[in-house]
Amino acid sequence: MGKTDEQGELIQGTLEMLVLRALVRGALHGYGVAEWIEQTSQQVLKVEEGALYPALHRLELRGLVKAEWGASENNRRAKFYRLTAEGRKRLEAESQRWARLTAAVAFVMQAS
Amino acid sequence: MNEKLHGFLFRIKGLLRRKRMDREMADELAFHQEMLRAKLLRAGVAEADVDAAARRRFGNASRWQERLRELWQLRGVENFGRDVRFATRVLRKSPGFTAVALLTLALGVGANTTVFSLINGLLLRPLAVPGSDRLAVLGITGRAPVTVYSFPEPLFRGLERRHAVFSDVLAFSHAKMQVRGNDGNENVTGQFVSGGFFPALETAPLLGRTLTAEDDRRGGDPAGFGVVISEHFWESWFHRAPDVVGRKLTVDNTVFTVVGVMPKRFIGADPVDRPELWVPLATEPNLNGEMNMTKAAIHGWWLSVLGRLQPGVTLAQANAEVAASTSAVLYENAGDVGWVKQELKGHFQFEAERGSAGFTYLRLEFRQPLMAVFAMCGGILLLACLNLTSLLMARGAARERELATRLAMGATRRRLTQQLLTESLLIAVAGTALGLAVAPLVSQALGAMLLSGARQSHLDTSLDVRVFAFAAAIALTATLVIGLAPGLRATSRDLNEQIKSGQHTIRKTERHRWLPRVLMSVEVALALVLVVGAGLLASSLVRLYRSGEGFDPRGVENIQFSMDKSGMAQGALMEFYQGVGSGLRPVPGVSGVSFARVVPFMGYTWDWSFAVPGGKDNDIWVNSVGPDYFGTMRIPLLEGRDFAWNDTSAGGMKVILNQKAAALLFPGGDALGHEVKQNNGSDEPAVLYQVVGVVGNAKYEELHSDPPPTAYTAMTQDNDGRRSPSYYAVVRTSGDAGSLATAARLLAKRMAPGIPAPVMTSMMTTLDDSLSAERMMALLSMFFAGCALLVTAIGLYGTLAYATARRTSEIGIRMALGARRAQVVRLVCGQNALVALFGTGAGLMAAVLVSRALASFLYGTSARDPWVLVGSVAALALIASAASLLPALRAARIDPMAAIRCE
Repeated sequence: MGKTDEQGELIQGTLEMLVLRALVRGALHGYGVAEWIEQTSQQVLKVEEGALYPALHRLELRGLVKAEWGASENNRRAKFYRLTAEGRKRLEAESQRWARLTAAVAFVMQAS
Repeated sequence: MNEKLHGFLFRIKGLLRRKRMDREMADELAFHQEMLRAKLLRAGVAEADVDAAARRRFGNASRWQERLRELWQLRGVENFGRDVRFATRVLRKSPGFTAVALLTLALGVGANTTVFSLINGLLLRPLAVPGSDRLAVLGITGRAPVTVYSFPEPLFRGLERRHAVFSDVLAFSHAKMQVRGNDGNENVTGQFVSGGFFPALETAPLLGRTLTAEDDRRGGDPAGFGVVISEHFWESWFHRAPDVVGRKLTVDNTVFTVVGVMPKRFIGADPVDRPELWVPLATEPNLNGEMNMTKAAIHGWWLSVLGRLQPGVTLAQANAEVAASTSAVLYENAGDVGWVKQELKGHFQFEAERGSAGFTYLRLEFRQPLMAVFAMCGGILLLACLNLTSLLMARGAARERELATRLAMGATRRRLTQQLLTESLLIAVAGTALGLAVAPLVSQALGAMLLSGARQSHLDTSLDVRVFAFAAAIALTATLVIGLAPGLRATSRDLNEQIKSGQHTIRKTERHRWLPRVLMSVEVALALVLVVGAGLLASSLVRLYRSGEGFDPRGVENIQFSMDKSGMAQGALMEFYQGVGSGLRPVPGVSGVSFARVVPFMGYTWDWSFAVPGGKDNDIWVNSVGPDYFGTMRIPLLEGRDFAWNDTSAGGMKVILNQKAAALLFPGGDALGHEVKQNNGSDEPAVLYQVVGVVGNAKYEELHSDPPPTAYTAMTQDNDGRRSPSYYAVVRTSGDAGSLATAARLLAKRMAPGIPAPVMTSMMTTLDDSLSAERMMALLSMFFAGCALLVTAIGLYGTLAYATARRTSEIGIRMALGARRAQVVRLVCGQNALVALFGTGAGLMAAVLVSRALASFLYGTSARDPWVLVGSVAALALIASAASLLPALRAARIDPMAAIRCE
């Protein structure tokens, strides 16, 4: 599954970062976000619905994404999420932090 | 920070659109499920298994919804809403307690808000003019023990010219003016105002213009005198004619031109007066004839003076400036250097004080009584709160089980206390709302009673921001005071111990129950203080009424004839009055008719200097009366004779002295037949009077003071009408007052058609009005004392009832073990007896201290009157016993078996 901590739950911050990244290319509905993450990660990261929607709503409450209702590909009513300017800024910051974190972990693991 | 704010705002939106949010969440999740199903189908999973597979992946839909909802809720608001609903349910389950709580709080809040509205209307509310906070009231210190707020005209003019600290200085004075209508003259309330009045008050007229300094010059505007009328007068007199500006109005036999109309909300600088006309100050000599106040110069103290501060000048600066300029103003304007020197030696000084609420004489009279009553209201509110706290604590004890269970199930102490506080908040808010609902009516009624009929004053007691803020503050404080202690107490840590010990058959010491007992003692003490205060004020009022007036006021009617604009000469005037006398005498029930210039207790005073020739001057009060005055008033004629209609000036001036005056002027000697000299001021020759009679002493201005030395002059010798020709007809009647009034009206119409209709007031009404402050205080204090006793009784009963209920099984056991009913009663009553004892003791001490503050309001009653103290203690003891006896009797009737069984 996704990156987990000791208790087997997704780390909130990482999931939110992935969701923001998913929305860079345009608006998506919740199912679309989950699918994109799954496909782009080569089926490694499967996002649990129980974590996805709280994450999306949390982002909406914090003003990082904007939500609007629209029609899906098969003409069903769905809630689409779109990045806001703050969201883009936050994504920038988070991905830089992530890069630093992974580099640091790599250093530690590669040390002799 | 921005994110938190965003989240908060969005959550508020979510709160308002709760249903829509729920639906949207369900839709969103349903859509996801749809897509998931479609994907599974495409992946080849069988139809039947799709649902199961989806559910396995998706899990419980409602759980996700709940998680989402949790994200969106505003924790605090949701909790509060839940608390309110729970508290409502709890309160509804015990209607008796809730009713008592609401009523006692409504009483406390209502009483306070009512009196505060009165205080607001009289003392605090700013005038409805722009920049009212820049107004200052001018006064004079040093001339009398209290600050004097009446100025003589020359001193005002001197102040008016100075612009160092004031951009405008205004003066005004009330006047009853006679306006000529179709049917003759009508009395109208008006004000004399100086040129700076309207500029200082900065209110634009509805029509035309306002009066300016130009109008306020001696002789007036060359175009004729101008008058500004009120919108109400424009409506009632001119029927809102659009061409009213320029029309003529005859005021006090002088022709005025209407120059402007003021809007309804403008009432001038006196918040209690509702004038219809404003005329320039300089026209006063024209309107008031020979004896006008302007002519009296520094002997006439009649103007109220205010000033508008220059921008940037503070009140303190203005105060210092006018004080410093006192001697300059006096020397420049008073005209009598000797007088000035004397006044300055007496520390005569001008002062300026806050004037945003304008100025009214009523303030001087009612400020202290209102404050005393306000203190009483505070006492009642405190009593109500203490009562509620005790009751809530007693109730909390009864709910220990429920609360301990909830604590055990994981509720935090904070949440539980919050919930208990919400209960008291509900009570406080509901009680306050009730109290507020009643307050306007009651304060209107009280205000009317205070300012009773004879004076035409209007107290604006409507609810405004200040009153609401006051009520809100009370409600909040009450909540905290009432709810906090019981809340904390009820959720304290040793709760578990309590429920373990079952129905408290095993009893630990009752030591921790001291707080409710102390509170009840304080309540008893407070109630005693209130009862003592009421007793003192009531007995003082009774003594006042019994103090005797020196005459018999019951059955006397005073009819006012406004003759000063009738244009009648002295001879015609006397004929008129004689005609009135003979016209009124035959009215059924009338046993005596006479006339007098001054009616006792109306507040008018008239004093002269009399001296025995060669002796020193004595200040003696004066009244001018017609024949048979003493007989009509039932003042005993001790020596000599009464006046007669043929006592004209030609036969020599005659005077009748009362006993005190006679003793003062002729100590130890005989007054009858001797002469006294009346000095009327340095510029007029002394007049010699012959004493033709001596009468009993009668009170003059107020019931509180002893009868002063009084001299009575003859109405028929009121020479050449220099004094006011208006007299009151004094009629003693045992018949219907209405027919007397009608007779007087018809007589006036027939004999002097132009004068305003005569106004009749009964002597008892005038007497009662002069005591309105005392009556209000006595009435209110008795009402509060009654309420205090009732509330305390309920409190004593309630707390004892709760305590006894909890001890049911203990009492059952005692009775099973052989205790007799009397012993049970004593056991239960004993609790309250101690409380009552301590409370009474503390209350007595407090009452003795507090009643000293009331001493200035008491007449003939010591602040430590033993009868009142004993009576109050007895009343309280009676109430406390009755309140304690009921639960005790009920406890004695407990069936021991039933009690032990319901463990």
